[in-house]
Amino acid sequence: MAFDALFQPIEIGKLTIRNRVVSTAHAEVHATDGGMTTERYVRYYEEKAKGGCGLSICGGSSVVSIDSPQGWWSSVNLTTDRIIPHFQNLADAVHQHGGKIMIQITHMGRRSRWDGFDWSTLLSPSGIREPVHRSTCKTIEEEDIWRIVGDFAQAARRAKEGGLDGVELSAVHQHLIDQFWSPRVNKREDEWGGSFENRMRFGMEVLKAVRAEVGDDFVVGMRICGDEFHPDGLSHDDMKQIAAYYDATGQVDFFGVIGSGCDTHNSLANVIPNMSYPPEPFLHLAAGIKEVVGVPVIHAQNIKDPNQASRILEGGYVDLVGMTRAHIADPHLIAKIKMGQVDQIKQCVGANYCIDRQYQGLDVLCIQNAATSREYMGLPHIIEKSDGAKRKVVVVGGGPGGMEAARVAAERGHDVTLFEAAEALGGQITIAAQAPQRDQIAGITRWYQLELARLKVDLRLGTRADEATLLDLRPDIVVLATGGHPFLSQHPQWGYSESPEESLVVSTWDVLNGKVAPGKNVLIYDTICEFSGLSAADYLADKGAKVEIVTDDIKPGAAVGGTTFPTYYRSLYEKEVIMTSDLMLHKVYREGDGLVAVLENEYTGALEERVVDQVVVENGVRPDEALYYALKAQSRNKGQVDLEALYAIQPQPSLSEVGDGFLLFRLGDCTAPRNTHAAIYDALRICKDF
Amino acid sequence: MLEILLPILIFAALALAAIGAWRRIRLWRQGRPAEVDLLRGLVAMPRRYLVDLHHVVARDKAMSNTHVATAGGFVAAAMLMILVHGLGLANPVLGGLLLAASALMFVGSLFVARRRRNPPARLSKGPWMRLPKSLMAFSLSVFLSTLPTVGVLPADVGSWILALALVAALAWGLGEMFFGMTWGGPMKHAFAGALHLAFHRRPERFSDKQGGTGRSTGLKALNLEDTSAPLGVETPSDFTWNQLLGFDACVQCGRCEAACPAFAAGQPLNPKKLIQDMVVGMAGGSDAAYAGSPYPGKPVGEHAGEPHGPIVARQGTALVDAETLWSCTTCRACVEECPMMIEHVDAIVDMRRFLTLEHGNTPNKGAEVLDNLIATDNPGGFDPGSRLHWAADLNLPLMADVKQADVLLWLGDGAFDMRNQRTLRALVKVLRAAEVEFAVLGNEERDSGDVARRLGDEATFQSLAGRNIATLAKYRFQRIVTCDPHSFHVLGNEYGELGGNYEVRHHTTFIAELYDADRLAFAPWKGGTVTYHDPCYLGRYNGEYEAPRRVLEALGIQLNEMERSGFRSRCCGGGGGAPITDIPGERRIPDMRMNDVKETGAELVAVGCPQCTAMLEGVVDASAEVRDIAELVADALVARPIADAASPARRPVGKTTAEEVF
Repeated sequence: MAFDALFQPIEIGKLTIRNRVVSTAHAEVHATDGGMTTERYVRYYEEKAKGGCGLSICGGSSVVSIDSPQGWWSSVNLTTDRIIPHFQNLADAVHQHGGKIMIQITHMGRRSRWDGFDWSTLLSPSGIREPVHRSTCKTIEEEDIWRIVGDFAQAARRAKEGGLDGVELSAVHQHLIDQFWSPRVNKREDEWGGSFENRMRFGMEVLKAVRAEVGDDFVVGMRICGDEFHPDGLSHDDMKQIAAYYDATGQVDFFGVIGSGCDTHNSLANVIPNMSYPPEPFLHLAAGIKEVVGVPVIHAQNIKDPNQASRILEGGYVDLVGMTRAHIADPHLIAKIKMGQVDQIKQCVGANYCIDRQYQGLDVLCIQNAATSREYMGLPHIIEKSDGAKRKVVVVGGGPGGMEAARVAAERGHDVTLFEAAEALGGQITIAAQAPQRDQIAGITRWYQLELARLKVDLRLGTRADEATLLDLRPDIVVLATGGHPFLSQHPQWGYSESPEESLVVSTWDVLNGKVAPGKNVLIYDTICEFSGLSAADYLADKGAKVEIVTDDIKPGAAVGGTTFPTYYRSLYEKEVIMTSDLMLHKVYREGDGLVAVLENEYTGALEERVVDQVVVENGVRPDEALYYALKAQSRNKGQVDLEALYAIQPQPSLSEVGDGFLLFRLGDCTAPRNTHAAIYDALRICKDF
Repeated sequence: MLEILLPILIFAALALAAIGAWRRIRLWRQGRPAEVDLLRGLVAMPRRYLVDLHHVVARDKAMSNTHVATAGGFVAAAMLMILVHGLGLANPVLGGLLLAASALMFVGSLFVARRRRNPPARLSKGPWMRLPKSLMAFSLSVFLSTLPTVGVLPADVGSWILALALVAALAWGLGEMFFGMTWGGPMKHAFAGALHLAFHRRPERFSDKQGGTGRSTGLKALNLEDTSAPLGVETPSDFTWNQLLGFDACVQCGRCEAACPAFAAGQPLNPKKLIQDMVVGMAGGSDAAYAGSPYPGKPVGEHAGEPHGPIVARQGTALVDAETLWSCTTCRACVEECPMMIEHVDAIVDMRRFLTLEHGNTPNKGAEVLDNLIATDNPGGFDPGSRLHWAADLNLPLMADVKQADVLLWLGDGAFDMRNQRTLRALVKVLRAAEVEFAVLGNEERDSGDVARRLGDEATFQSLAGRNIATLAKYRFQRIVTCDPHSFHVLGNEYGELGGNYEVRHHTTFIAELYDADRLAFAPWKGGTVTYHDPCYLGRYNGEYEAPRRVLEALGIQLNEMERSGFRSRCCGGGGGAPITDIPGERRIPDMRMNDVKETGAELVAVGCPQCTAMLEGVVDASAEVRDIAELVADALVARPIADAASPARRPVGKTTAEEVF
């Protein structure tokens, strides 16, 4: 039977998990209200259980002690008994759907920030600063150690009393337990440092205290790393020794294994591998741990596809697969496998919008699934068919917003036509996918293509919709998602012209689309600092151009998230792309065969020049509004979106008003330039009530 | 002159008929012995004919009336003719009756003739085409010969030429009717048919005067202990004598052919031809004289057999090719349609038993499936310890733990199938909503043996059945409920002979009972148009046509019935191991069935069988969604209104529960 390996139940300790698929611990940034799990938190995990996920481990970096700050990432607060009733809600919600739920508990040691909330004195075995969070810390004292050991035990008790199925002790990502393990951070010469046994001692005391508190009928696991990838850190062999050492106690019920440490920006990118990584890049490390332990091993890192997951399990590399981002993209992943709807699974593309928001302390959201973590607001993962009349819905624009609008309207049972001027769906996603290492972003489009075909949406590709064509269709609703165009005309001195022969600058779109040939010596001016500038730089360098990317911001790619800018940087530095900050593009002029770009220092006003043969400007998107204004006056609702209803996830009032003519809504970049998620979210919340 | 000639003719015909009958009986007696209560059978015969057989014939009103007139007229005319013309009791009353009988028969034969003018493809031609003329010759000549008896015409009317012509016509008629009856002509059906009804191998299938409907569909067990008995049927003479008699009763009406899904799919099976081949085989010879539709793709005249020769050749051809036998889905459409109550499926399984047990020659995936059953107790070869994996999150009570329960939920091998697991989960949800006290055998359950038995592996069937019966004997329960009609049939109808007697309910029957007992409440139906596909093993095998429809009605669904529904439901193609033996045809049976669905315009086809679900869902570009009734019920569940204030408050059924999670 296909996917049989996924659906073998497994015992972890005394707990039966219904299948081999786990949503592993990640910071949700939802547990607000002082770290008490909220309705939002509960619904998010309930949805996974409803969708068939076997085990969810919630609460990445949930804290056990008050000096491990909870507030930065709104993680779960296990330092107080107040959490227990909240856990009961969470446990009930997951259990009623047959799922199991555990929580990761930890003390983050030095891996946090001290400059807020209680202004904690962060702790670390030897007081060495952590670079990612720029956090300094105190060298931990013996009294602190015993206090924290006791806090772990109390936190585990709270999880158990709250009805959760287990706890996962975090000894990964350079939290306190593995700060003690790693000689890179632990320079102590007392009984808590130095020798192997001494470095193991803190974690062992935590494990013993927790197990003594919760007894045998509660799962206690450990999440560890497979190799810190630092010459002075823990190697894979060290980690095998550590895993075997703890396993020998018989007190650990499972190990979760993650490849790579993460106390630098570069190693952090490994932990949540983005789309530039191959599938399951660190499986071998988890398999190495499995060799030396006798309990189930969970591994999550770039396992997104049910076939891939089955292959990993069939190969016996690990016992359970973590498909965490896969569940963020589609919490009904398992149900769809079982329904024989594998093609309908919205597959994670590794855009890492989720984790990159999390590292900024923002709630975890999915770039392509606007319902995820908004279940509590009533945003549906499965769109119900409308009870009302069948409407004629015309969508203009086949980018993410338009595709989502067409999908949702078709799921509602309406007759949907979608116009797209280009020959293929995708909009700006298609452009983004042209860059090296970014091709997988096209997976977003691929899913919509399959869904729109399944839903029998009438696709008019290569057709630019005009007013007459639209009105000929006698639509009940028109959704405009026409996007925009690169905004190169903002500063006349840049020399942009609509005539390609005369224009002194080109856009990143032109470059990535192949509309202009790559230059040999290129200056990219990127004031936006998101993906497009770095992608254009990587693309041009890949084609052999000499590239300098200049920004007036603090660094090129400043707005690209923490797990993705490192992979760009690896590629750009390797290709000798020059990255320059603090310079504005003042002017471009032609001189002989070449172009001169005049740059102005943001802080001194000093001018400098670059002589190049191509100037690429990334200055964001200007909305395409012409069609909107052509239709606005004729529409029943004058193109207006009711914001109160929109934000409250209520039906647009105009939908229930009777009258002649059509309703007009616009969304995505043609309203105001934002991102993929914003366009999809607008589309879902407007169209779900059609 | 007639007074002299007629008795001679009549008694000569009767004598020849007697000789023919003796020779025919000798052919049947080549078969193996069978325990038949001859006397009781003969006594029961008229009722079996007039009630049970007529019930089938009467589905075609015109043909039924035609047969009543022709056959009734003939039987009366024949008896009276012996009295009037044979024994010379020429009184006007008898003569008048004889005139009436022959006239009735004549009218009947006109209708027979009319049908033969443009016969449907299912009717055999050949000698059958002359039958109406023979009937008319007989009835007309008897009528005319009798006119003088009642004084309408003087005894010496006409010339001797006219008398001779009359005698010739009468000779023709008598020849067909009496000589032909026992010497292999079309009228053989009357003689063999009557005896077949009397000595039928399944006397229990006939109705009784107390209003019992009579149903006997379980296969009969092979006695594996009896080393002298053949394992199945190798040669025609390996059939029991009353089976051979039954084959001889065939009227070649082809109703079976018209109903057979394999025939319609262009697979090399035609039940009528198969029965005729058995007739050829018991007498010895070739099938060249057969005048009906052949097995699709197999021209007539290339096969021959003999009473003691093999039916299926190990190599080359004999009487029947193995693929003909393996095309059958055991759907019983042929048996259901047969006005002569012939048991085609029994015969096919008898012959399959020999091929499987003696030749070890089960085609395609057959051998693998049987090996799986032997090694793992399930046809898919799944780890027998994984039968409950689909329910790892449902905490189903195990019989091994609870020892007794009201309901034993029999999972069937659909427990290993991801699609059927959804049905099972839905059923669990329904049972829990109705607060049914149930338990499962879990890993103690084994395949019921259905597939093994129908693939001819009686030994594996009996081994599985024996072990299941032993397991079931350990526990106490009121009834077994299952969503698998095959398990339902085997547990309910075939385990009894091996010592396992249970009250078994199909889940739709059980759900209908729960609903009628106010233990379930449903939200109004919001979906589109629905049709219902009757599973063969629920409908024709067990007569359950009502309960599924009752449940669908309770859900608020108005069915768009298919033309082939109820007892005429067309098989999905999934029974009898047919998907395993996978004999190629020109079309696929499930495709035809989904076309039937499409013709109703239904957006959803409700089913009640894992096999049907699998077959129908396997249809590419199907126009309708396939859902088990249990799923529809589970989706519609709402909390029951509390009947009275005294009853304890119940926990409301949640909108979603674990069972709904796939």
